[in-house]
Amino acid sequence: MKDIAEQEVIDIGEMDVEAFNEYATEQGWSDGMPLFVPTEAKVAKFVETVRGDNRPYAPVPPRQIVPTVQALAANAVMAGCKPEYFPVVTAALRGVLDPEYNLHGTLATTHSCAPMVMVSGPIRHELNINCGTNCFGQGRQANATIGRALGLMLLNIAGAKPGEMDRSTQGNPAKFTFCFGENEEENPWTPYHVQRGFAPTDSVVTVMSGEGPHNLNDHGSTTGDGLLTTFAGGMSNPGANTIYGKGPMFVIIGPEHAATLKRDGFTIDSIREELWKRSRVHLSRVSKENLVTYETTGHKPDGDWLSIGRDPKDIHITVAGGPGKHSAFIPSFGGTTVACTRIA
Amino acid sequence: MRIFNPSFGMAAAGPAKVTLQPINWATDAIALISNSKPNARELLEGVRAMLGAHRPVDNIHFHAKNSASQPAPKELIEKVAKNYKGALLALGD
Repeated sequence: MKDIAEQEVIDIGEMDVEAFNEYATEQGWSDGMPLFVPTEAKVAKFVETVRGDNRPYAPVPPRQIVPTVQALAANAVMAGCKPEYFPVVTAALRGVLDPEYNLHGTLATTHSCAPMVMVSGPIRHELNINCGTNCFGQGRQANATIGRALGLMLLNIAGAKPGEMDRSTQGNPAKFTFCFGENEEENPWTPYHVQRGFAPTDSVVTVMSGEGPHNLNDHGSTTGDGLLTTFAGGMSNPGANTIYGKGPMFVIIGPEHAATLKRDGFTIDSIREELWKRSRVHLSRVSKENLVTYETTGHKPDGDWLSIGRDPKDIHITVAGGPGKHSAFIPSFGGTTVACTRIA
Repeated sequence: MRIFNPSFGMAAAGPAKVTLQPINWATDAIALISNSKPNARELLEGVRAMLGAHRPVDNIHFHAKNSASQPAPKELIEKVAKNYKGALLALGD
């Protein structure tokens, strides 16, 4: 008899949902929250939604196995996805398989990074993905389960089991799910996927291995210049990986802050430039021991300052959220990239 | 009830098989490679000092990845393979 890990289809006999969840936990398939049962009939419905997308998947590190579409669908079923979410989940998986994303490093690290999933384009509304009020939070099935499905794939296909391959010191609630939509309708500049060369009518998934959103609260500033001072202060962080890991980061601007910046003539590029200049970390805020480590590994300061990325282009900018005077900063793992995949 | 296994996949083809050459640890050139995490260099300096006490030639050299969080670049691996008979890696953290 084959080991369970070698069986694509498993006969589990008669089980109710509670019994299946106990069984799945014993197999190491669970993220700790209740799972739906990936029956053959349910998986078939999900597979049907990606029929025609015949691009092969690369081996998934660290486990280095090539997943079947049915195994991927089983994870999406267990997460509670609707079948129509599945092409978004598979696009997100293709994104994290970009070699520059560094999936092995991001899953095995002691850092708290989680796969951030941002959805752009018409599919946001077709799937009722929250792009507005509370977009990073609870309340919508699509946001909750698309991010969760990717997390389950990384657990079960990639092998990122907490305490074994996943060595994160403290973890991060975003590892349960971290999926939101761009608020393109209130973006006074260009939607992110269009910044990256896609057509406005394309539906695109963007992934980055990031920390959870760090709030940037500014109720007082009435000018774009004032807002950027606050944003840069929140981003200037000697404890972020990007101080020495040098990688990308997102600033997700709330619509009200975006309107003020636009009114005062700021563009995506000028915001990047200003945040780049103003968010540098003064050496007085960096320990002597860390400075030695940074210098010996090639991350030398520029005068009395350390930058929080390689150049202004490491600061990725878009708009999401609803009414209110808040924005968010999402620093990355550092040694990773922001990968975009058009949804097939 | 039959379910699809969420951890199922096909094994990827393994890397090409490499034949290891014999090494003389007393005289052959050795690379000491740090993963660029704190304390890796210190560990390797200790190894170098211990090896140096028994070796008549000074041909042990330090190398490091340029990012602790990313794989070693191909150029570094090729350089080490070309110039050294042996390599010792330190994984600090």
